[in-house]
Amino acid sequence: MSLSSRSARLRKWFNRRGWIKITIATPYIWLALFFLLPFIIVMAMSFATRTPTAPPFSFGGDHPVMNTDHYARLFSDDLYIRAYLNSIGNATLATLMCLMIGYPMALGLTRVSRSWRNVLLMLVILPFWTSFLLRVYAWMGLMGTNSWFNKLLTGAYNWIVPSDMALRYIPMMNTGFAVVLVTVYSYLPFMILPLYANLEKLDISLNEAAMDLGSKPFQVFRDVTLPLSVPGIIAGSLLVFIPASGELIIPSLVGSSSRPMIGRVISDEFASARDWPMASAVAVALLLLLVVPLMIYTYYDGKAHEKAQKEAT
Amino acid sequence: MTKLTRRTTLATLGAGLAMPYVRPSWAQSGTVNVYNWADYIGETTLADFEAQTGIGVVYDTYSSAEEMQAKMLAGSTGYDVVDHAGIDMPRAIAAGIYEELDKSLLPNWGNLDTEILRILSGWDEGNKYGMPYMWGSVGFTYNVDMVNERIPDADMTSMDLIFDPENAAKLADCGISILDSPTDIMLMVLKYLGLDGDTTNVEDYQKVVEAFKPIRQYIRTFDNTNYLNAIPNGELCAINNWSGDYATAAGRAAEAGIDMNLAYFVPKTGAPAWVDVMCITSDSPNRENAYKFLDFMMQPEVAAGCTNYTYYANANVPAREFVLQEILDDPAVYPDAETIGRMWAPKPFSEEQDRAITRAWQDIKSG
Amino acid sequence: MSEPATNIGAKVAQFPRAAALAEKEPPFIRVEGVTKRFGSFTAVSSVNLEIRKGEIFSLLGGSGCGKTTLLRMLAGFEDPTEGRIFIDGQDMTDLPPYERPVNMMFQSYALFPHMTVEKNVAYGLKHMDMTASQRADRVREMLALVQLSDFSHRKPHQISGGQRQRVALARALAKQPKLLLLDEPLAALDKKLREATQFELMDIQDKTGTTFIVVTHDQEEAMTLSSRLAVMDKGRIMQTGTATEVYEYPNSKLVAGFIGSINFFEATIRDVRDDVATVDAPELGATVEARAIPGLSPGQPITLAIRPEKLTISRSKPEGPNAISGKVRDLAYFGKDSLYRIELPSGRVLSINSVNSRRVGENERVADWEDAVWLSFDPSSAILLKD
Repeated sequence: MSLSSRSARLRKWFNRRGWIKITIATPYIWLALFFLLPFIIVMAMSFATRTPTAPPFSFGGDHPVMNTDHYARLFSDDLYIRAYLNSIGNATLATLMCLMIGYPMALGLTRVSRSWRNVLLMLVILPFWTSFLLRVYAWMGLMGTNSWFNKLLTGAYNWIVPSDMALRYIPMMNTGFAVVLVTVYSYLPFMILPLYANLEKLDISLNEAAMDLGSKPFQVFRDVTLPLSVPGIIAGSLLVFIPASGELIIPSLVGSSSRPMIGRVISDEFASARDWPMASAVAVALLLLLVVPLMIYTYYDGKAHEKAQKEAT
Repeated sequence: MTKLTRRTTLATLGAGLAMPYVRPSWAQSGTVNVYNWADYIGETTLADFEAQTGIGVVYDTYSSAEEMQAKMLAGSTGYDVVDHAGIDMPRAIAAGIYEELDKSLLPNWGNLDTEILRILSGWDEGNKYGMPYMWGSVGFTYNVDMVNERIPDADMTSMDLIFDPENAAKLADCGISILDSPTDIMLMVLKYLGLDGDTTNVEDYQKVVEAFKPIRQYIRTFDNTNYLNAIPNGELCAINNWSGDYATAAGRAAEAGIDMNLAYFVPKTGAPAWVDVMCITSDSPNRENAYKFLDFMMQPEVAAGCTNYTYYANANVPAREFVLQEILDDPAVYPDAETIGRMWAPKPFSEEQDRAITRAWQDIKSG
Repeated sequence: MSEPATNIGAKVAQFPRAAALAEKEPPFIRVEGVTKRFGSFTAVSSVNLEIRKGEIFSLLGGSGCGKTTLLRMLAGFEDPTEGRIFIDGQDMTDLPPYERPVNMMFQSYALFPHMTVEKNVAYGLKHMDMTASQRADRVREMLALVQLSDFSHRKPHQISGGQRQRVALARALAKQPKLLLLDEPLAALDKKLREATQFELMDIQDKTGTTFIVVTHDQEEAMTLSSRLAVMDKGRIMQTGTATEVYEYPNSKLVAGFIGSINFFEATIRDVRDDVATVDAPELGATVEARAIPGLSPGQPITLAIRPEKLTISRSKPEGPNAISGKVRDLAYFGKDSLYRIELPSGRVLSINSVNSRRVGENERVADWEDAVWLSFDPSSAILLKD
């Protein structure tokens, strides 16, 4: 039997048994079960009222069934707004820095020989083989006031500046700088990999064409590579920005307590204050804050695409 | 509250080591599911229990009190025995997550220190629900040499050393760390300010916020775990912490061969005491074995074994005979009578207090 | 393609003009001893070329022959390992691509997918000293040249393959380069479009007067398009000349075999008189005459090559020196011509193309299966090849 007829038979069997439906349905079921359902629970919880029971909330009773106090508090207490702003500011800065460091790395990856490329890609992914927490602790060790690393930097700094400006150490731990540094370090691969996937697909002859038409290397980058890598930039930035916005561990371990972060606020409301409904309201608001702009973007991007398609026909 | 996140690092790395011991004897005697702080039991305690009773221990650990409370409040955990913070007991009892202990199944109950039971009864009236396990104080650990270098003849028993902005400014560069646990530190500050530590007037919390304001800029971090590494590295010199952690940090410094003059003080204006208790869940699937486990934990040698490993004081009187002399002699672990006199068991918080204290704490931290 | 391929004769007529130019002017493009090595692999080996202004010059060869590498060196994407490249008297060897008066049309077209047709064509102009309105005029002019004025606001993915090809051409011509390089310009088009586009390319070349260098693996394309062509193999140029020169007077077995089909026979020189050589060809079963080439001596082994269309088939023995007998093994009727495969007494099989110049019925053909026939050819049509 010929190969093609065999594969056709296989496909027919696959379709007849409804496997195709199952294949398509699986990711949706997964999403419904492990994203939508928990989100609905969290959403519902955000309208509940805190009670001294197990679990520590209830609907109705002496309180309205739909208790919107928690959402009102989001706006009445500036702590939450400050925390959102801090988190988003931090995530934005980290994303920009990941982009600035990750872009040349991703571009470099596409320009080296295939054998080198595999080695370098491996090196990009390698940190994942070590526990994330351990890597953060390693940074804490490096940034500590008495570490060799800090002493080295302090020595270099004191050597440059006049003696009356000399420092005993460089304050790095428990600063906003430390949070951005460790966030950038931790999330850099999430920027590099989608960018690399995008840049790797770009036809090198486009660059040659631009150069052939008179553009110097920088102009080639600005006119061709950069605009064509926008999808990769968006993908990488989202992969860094979204988890960085809700990041709990990094600000807790290396951050400054004077800058409340939204992840920490959720954790405090949930655990310290045992206010599950309030924690849920903060979490829902964070999700809306992050996802809604994304949905709007996707919607308009899709529309623009459709419009372009229509024009073409 | 009690000791919050303890040894997060070790908990993470040691999760594999803390896995249950698999023994064929389970088939006969069944198992008991225990949920405890990470690194908070004797080195051979679980193996000894299995050898003695033939009951397998499924041992699970947590590294933050909040994590444990959240899990217990959510319900249906399947645990039989849970280590819980004493001060949090009123809420746990109200939520109905633990069962009233049947003392007739606990013949070793008589070994328990009546003084500790008395303190505990403030949170668990009549000691109906919890067996006291370890206890201690909240205080300050100082790197004596680093502090004296900056403030000669500093009075380490006074919280002025931290809350006087002049002192705090001098100590800022060698590192001040405060517990990220409002129910511990805020009560201490209330006492320091001459207010009632058990105040129910939430306006008083605002005074604590005010007291922190002038020194906030000098506090390097609010933290419950990292000081265990930062102290031996000489990165902190004034650390607000729980009694046992002082000993752990000192041990780590000694292990690393660092000569370090550390001292632990309970402030003379007073500090909260804490007691951790072991409870049996109300939906315990192996109730009988849970009682056997609790009773086993009250055997003097067993309790002493736990103290000798964790450097926390146990609540077992005859166990003192088996506790290492150096631990018994360490006033940070087994405080003297005068120190005990400065400690008090805080009253449980109302919902309103809980919320106000969390909110005030967020203001303090964010300066 | 909108313009049909009419009036082929008029387009072909430009070649004599190019040839005439060649006589008078110095070479416009000079490639001197250019070699390119990638590690131990030599892609281009000591290539010398002289190309006149206004020529369409083709580099013809199979894949890996070095033609694309040579083109990329002309564009500036590769540096020659040895040798120099001159354009209009100027040494280009060390100039980067963006400083050369050379533009290239890429095999993949390499249109910028994020720019409209108009922006693609205008891209190269922004580096030129022009006013905005001059630029707009030039773009309009170029789009008109390739008949794409109505498509200026489309993106490349919204137009057809043939249209894309023309955008690429317009973009490459917009800067009015001294030299236009075309890398397999027609390879991505289907057969019908390819033929029409060939003539359109020639037409545009005629209008702009730009010198074209075309890389192709398609010998028919090379022959139709080019004023002259170079056959390349293994990094070397085997032969340079007009299509006629290369087809009718190949200088090697390789060139003869690459361009068109041909029959090869092992042979030995018996005698050389003036411009006619007498050759023993045991495989033909005859001694035949062929046009002599320089440097022949009796007894020398040689290859005799005869193109299928140069052979005449007949039932009776023809007059003249070159008559060979054989038997029809196979025949294929194509309408305008027929292909015969004739088995010789030596066992060799030979291909013959015979033009069906007369209208005959099924049973009136010159020869049929298994018929004994005679083949003949003019001595001047037989090619002698030394290698």
